[in-house]
Amino acid sequence: MARILDLHLHSEASDDSRAPVEAYLKWLARKRDERPLEGLVLTEHRQFNNAGDYRELEDKYGMLILKASEVETDYGHVLVYGVNDDILKRFDFKNVRLPAQEVITEVARMGGIAMPCHPGRPTIGLIEHYQKKPPIEGVVGVEALNGGSKKGENERVAGLVQAYGYHAFGGSDSHLVSFVGLCATEFDRDIKTIEDLVEALRAGGYRPVDFRAPRPQVPLTLEVSSHGSGI
Amino acid sequence: MALEFDRSIIGQIFDETAFPPVTKEEILEFAAALGETNPFYTDEAAAAKGPYGGLVAPPTLVTKLRAKKFTPEHLPKFGKVGFDGGRDLEIFAPVRPGDQLTMLSTIHDIYEKTGRTGSMYFIVIRNEVKNQNGERVALIDHRIMQR
Amino acid sequence: MNTLYFEDIEEGDELPSIDMFLSKDQVRQYARTAGMYVPRFTDDEGARAEGLPGMIAPGVMSMGLLARMISDWNPAALITRIGTTFRSPVLPERNVHLRGAVTQKIEADHTVECDIWMENDDGERWVIGTATAKVPSKG
Repeated sequence: MARILDLHLHSEASDDSRAPVEAYLKWLARKRDERPLEGLVLTEHRQFNNAGDYRELEDKYGMLILKASEVETDYGHVLVYGVNDDILKRFDFKNVRLPAQEVITEVARMGGIAMPCHPGRPTIGLIEHYQKKPPIEGVVGVEALNGGSKKGENERVAGLVQAYGYHAFGGSDSHLVSFVGLCATEFDRDIKTIEDLVEALRAGGYRPVDFRAPRPQVPLTLEVSSHGSGI
Repeated sequence: MALEFDRSIIGQIFDETAFPPVTKEEILEFAAALGETNPFYTDEAAAAKGPYGGLVAPPTLVTKLRAKKFTPEHLPKFGKVGFDGGRDLEIFAPVRPGDQLTMLSTIHDIYEKTGRTGSMYFIVIRNEVKNQNGERVALIDHRIMQR
Repeated sequence: MNTLYFEDIEEGDELPSIDMFLSKDQVRQYARTAGMYVPRFTDDEGARAEGLPGMIAPGVMSMGLLARMISDWNPAALITRIGTTFRSPVLPERNVHLRGAVTQKIEADHTVECDIWMENDDGERWVIGTATAKVPSKG
């Protein structure tokens, strides 16, 4: 049963992440006060990790662990929740040029939901594509808060959400253990299964939550500490 | 450009380079350039009393070894410019002054993904570094990103 | 030497950060010693000719600095594995912050796993990675 979930993160199953799932859970257990998460959704790059079985870890740490995917399309990256055999047969997740409109429409038809992530990011985010191509039909929500974004990228999404009436969610986009849960999504309803998640994402009643610590003010140039070479 | 290439190049050794002996000065300069203060890398006398019994190089020194052939001759160019996308380094033995290192290079993998700068092709070069005793010193996976 | 023993280290420990101003001269110094004295690492115009915004620090320099952060934290740590992803070019003449945290302790061989990364003043992470280090035990 979970209300606050990190909807976007990568375990060591993703090629560019080095985080074992159990290490994520231990970190969250330790950081419970600052990051009160109840669930994780593993969104592995360009694959669906069929083999991954996290039920024992769920019991051990009292956390909900769901599996999903991050795929690459002609409108940027998209998170696919509720991946099933039909979806995997229809789309080759290794293809880095999937047709976004088809992904959004067909995944929904086949019982899942596809949601564009980091829409404010250059090249692989929706906003830039909407500047030169027609908008995608059937988008229900976008990742308005992404923990790996650069300055301005999350802020840009507010305009997109307003213009198209999209729902907004959050995720850490963590590739390292210690970045888990810095950004997440809070749901009004309890999520117990992937079906619950798909339904909730479709219906609305959620919002991004930001657990990052406020940044300290840093002077423009720092005193160089006195090591031999001046570094 | 789609990812098309002769898959038989994966795993084939395409270069073997022998390097001149590592010098004490090289080690000290490298340590200084990184601001290292660890006596194992900076102080011969102190290092002699430590667990290594002498001066050793900071662990990333092996990343400065450059093979005669950076990539195989017949590797197609997937992009116009190449960048260092990342390195994974496994360290088995320290590098000491006087070590004569050799490096074998193979193509470990080639794959494609999209990022903020567009389509990126990754060529993973695996370098195996050995010393004059035939001891494995390091294994380096070097991800060259081309776009 | 401030040796840190396995028993003194805890999962969740933050490594003391290195906050520094990375100058062009430091980058050139590294490039020289690493045999990488080429335009992209030494000269703004040369770097721009390759499509870069200006001269950049070599990825392996960032990696070396992160390894140094571990060495500063615990000079007795023997790094057995270090891997980094260079997500964005590191442009010198600005502040860089090298950070890390102990994420796992492995009892069987007295090793620790650390997250390591380099970020700018805005918290944007240019380089991310992990390292494994063997540390001495009190017995």
